[in-house]
Amino acid sequence: MIPFQPFYNMKIGVVDLSTSSAEVIPLVQERVSRYLGGAAMNSAILEGYQDDALAFGTGPLTGSFAPASPLMIATFTSSIFKRLCHVPLMLRTGPDMKFSGVDFLVVKGTAPEPSVVHVNHGVIRILLAPTILNMPVPEAIMELKKTSPPFQSLIITGPAADRGSSYASISIGTNGSLDKAGLATLMAAKSLKGIMLGGTDGLPFNKDNPAQGKELEKIISGDKNFKRRGFYAVLKNLEGGKDAGKYLKADRKKDMACYHCPSPCMTHVRYSWHDPRNQEMEKSEEGLLLLDHTGCIALAKKVGKNILPILWACLHYGLDPAGVAEMLPEGGAMTECINAIDKIISDGPPRTTDVSEANRLCGGGVPPIGTDDLWEKRVALAMVLGVCPIFLLRFPEITDTALLSFISTREEDLKTLQERLSSAISSL
Amino acid sequence: MMKQETTQKPMAEQDFSLNIEDLRPRPQEKKHLSEYFMPRRHSFIIFHPDRCTGCGACEMICSTRNVEKVAPVSASVKVMRDGKEGKNFSILCQHCRKPLCLPACPTRAIEKGDDGIVRIDKLFCTECGLCTMACPAAAPIKDPGSQEIHKCDLCEGDPLCVKHCPENALTLTRGKAVRWIKGLRWTSQLMSFLLLVMVFVGTFCYFRTGSVSFACPTGTLQNIASSGTIVLVSVSSALALLILTVVAGRLFCGWVCPFGFVLDLVDKITPRKLGWPAFLKSRMTKYGVLAGAVGGSYALGFQVFCTVCPIGTLCRSYGVQSFFKSAELAIVPALASLEIGERRSWCRYFCPVGAVLGLTALLRLIKIVIGAKRCKKFSCIQCAEVCPVGIIDADKLREGLSPKIPMTECIMCMRCIDRCPYDAAKIRFRWQKAVPGEGRI
Repeated sequence: MIPFQPFYNMKIGVVDLSTSSAEVIPLVQERVSRYLGGAAMNSAILEGYQDDALAFGTGPLTGSFAPASPLMIATFTSSIFKRLCHVPLMLRTGPDMKFSGVDFLVVKGTAPEPSVVHVNHGVIRILLAPTILNMPVPEAIMELKKTSPPFQSLIITGPAADRGSSYASISIGTNGSLDKAGLATLMAAKSLKGIMLGGTDGLPFNKDNPAQGKELEKIISGDKNFKRRGFYAVLKNLEGGKDAGKYLKADRKKDMACYHCPSPCMTHVRYSWHDPRNQEMEKSEEGLLLLDHTGCIALAKKVGKNILPILWACLHYGLDPAGVAEMLPEGGAMTECINAIDKIISDGPPRTTDVSEANRLCGGGVPPIGTDDLWEKRVALAMVLGVCPIFLLRFPEITDTALLSFISTREEDLKTLQERLSSAISSL
Repeated sequence: MMKQETTQKPMAEQDFSLNIEDLRPRPQEKKHLSEYFMPRRHSFIIFHPDRCTGCGACEMICSTRNVEKVAPVSASVKVMRDGKEGKNFSILCQHCRKPLCLPACPTRAIEKGDDGIVRIDKLFCTECGLCTMACPAAAPIKDPGSQEIHKCDLCEGDPLCVKHCPENALTLTRGKAVRWIKGLRWTSQLMSFLLLVMVFVGTFCYFRTGSVSFACPTGTLQNIASSGTIVLVSVSSALALLILTVVAGRLFCGWVCPFGFVLDLVDKITPRKLGWPAFLKSRMTKYGVLAGAVGGSYALGFQVFCTVCPIGTLCRSYGVQSFFKSAELAIVPALASLEIGERRSWCRYFCPVGAVLGLTALLRLIKIVIGAKRCKKFSCIQCAEVCPVGIIDADKLREGLSPKIPMTECIMCMRCIDRCPYDAAKIRFRWQKAVPGEGRI
């Protein structure tokens, strides 16, 4: 029997929004051994629930010493893809879910009033939050900080989702996300405003994991991509990325990383801008975290140098930048773009996104790095093990075996894990 | 029947209780002779905010040592992420020279070892959390789960967080970084001393080459007062030092003054200071000495202060030609002995040359600033500790405020800039209002 105990709390939280009740059920060892975790496990769990159920899950390596292990995966039936779809949620959401005492969280039913779910110490609470309905994301977060129990990570929907826009996107804190599959829309339909993760517990993992993590870092340190870090380094290798990079000029930049990632692919930028609709207002300085490569490229194509304020507006209202780009006029002025965003929030037409099979696997947010075949394999691997897909795409020298050896280094265990991994990936 | 009187208290009233002093007496500070000459340097971790990406690897590895599992909230090091500003900063123990957590602990569970590491003895800790409140950086962290207090103990000299940070944003220092300003300053001071005292004897008071002349501004003031005439040449000769002061503040005091160099040397061999009584510690005294020197010169008809000026006597009496020949030589050791009270006591309270330069420094073009936002290490206060004239308000830093540095008192030695591990001390033009990181956190 492969020891999964140090990697999981072995608990699944089940929330029934319609009755405002929650229970914690044990995670069966055989099931974990079969599906390993992440998207594969989410899909298996959802089989026992109705179509509108939603599962958040972590991989076995989420929160561990494996490099770039921040992933939480949301699995749900997407209104855009019309079938089961997986969205990777980065930053610290995955580890914080595990450190809150549950490994998977299933949300079923629809709440009678806007609610938020708070998880900590393996206890799930459903709190009413009608005040944050239609509130911009930063303000809603401030309100939750004032009125709710403390939390480390937060997944929240913005006013766009509250008004039923199909262009809505989930936001991790104020930073946006890679959700382009309608996760926010589904959450809004269930009157679920957000999920707060307390993250005050911990997991022991394996004792030799820190050394294994350092070993992998050494291996990738020789890769040319290791030194090319930050959002722009990834962006410029993508189609249309160089042009987008030219428009993403900011006063100050700082590279940021998700949980335990040795090679950051995000950049925080600060820029100053002036709202053309308010002539009396002085130039203001804003800051935002660039993490959505495909969104930025799409937006830059349409709005050019106005990209940063428009992107900020998207994050403010909980909108997907790539979706918004579809609706904006080509080369539109700032006022025109902001007015268009207002329209998208209130009564945007249904979204027509690229519904390719590959996008279904990752919610459409993972940039196309490498060949198509490799891309699909690496993303699927990441979505099962709970490791960042962008990181795995950038560093192909990190093999499946290297990642699985965090769970067990025994030969026979590794062989079994490899078989289970292949089976889990094919089940996606 | 008469009640028998007794002086002995009944058993119930006698105090048999043990106090903390009986149970856990505070260890006496050990004074080694070697420490007297060379104060011990303590290790601490420096955080480089520009390198930190906020990945949290430090928290992970630290928590495995504290609670034997990955639980970032139980770590002794915290990475705080300012999502709006896009900045990261850390909360970790600086192992202060005089830790505030130590006296705050009611059970004396916190001790500073001979190696400079501040540790919590879990056996005595009652988890009251007073240390977390006393520490200006909130470095002792109360575990929200177990309620235990966790505090960095530098992993007994080999910190795991430093080893595991992929960006090298945490570095362990012995408190002695490479300081190029220090090297430059000592070289400048030594060269100035050799030139003014050993080679060009007496040149500080007056020096003439061709049509250009230089003179001590305090001496010039006394000369004017004693002679009752203003000679344009002597006034212009005093301008060189004054112009230098307008451009660069009291740079002369920190980098050139030969007596200042002597005081810095004396300070090296007398690191422990006795302090002065409060009534002697008025920085206005030097302006009184200046007024007295000018008034005395006017009344007596000669330059009164110049006869006892330590800079002048040093330049005149200790040269190759007149070494140990003059009675004036006693003045320098006498005034240098003031160093046992406070660092640069003479410069702080008495030096009239410093007074003239201080008044001129009101017109200075530059200033030194310490930005609290960039600093964010309230318990570090190394800038306040190294300042030889004691003008950096450590309390303000502890409150998280940028201290105002009076440039009339600052001798521009730049020790604060050199020492600051966070790059918070900077030189700025005086009209620059927007100081990087100025203001409150």
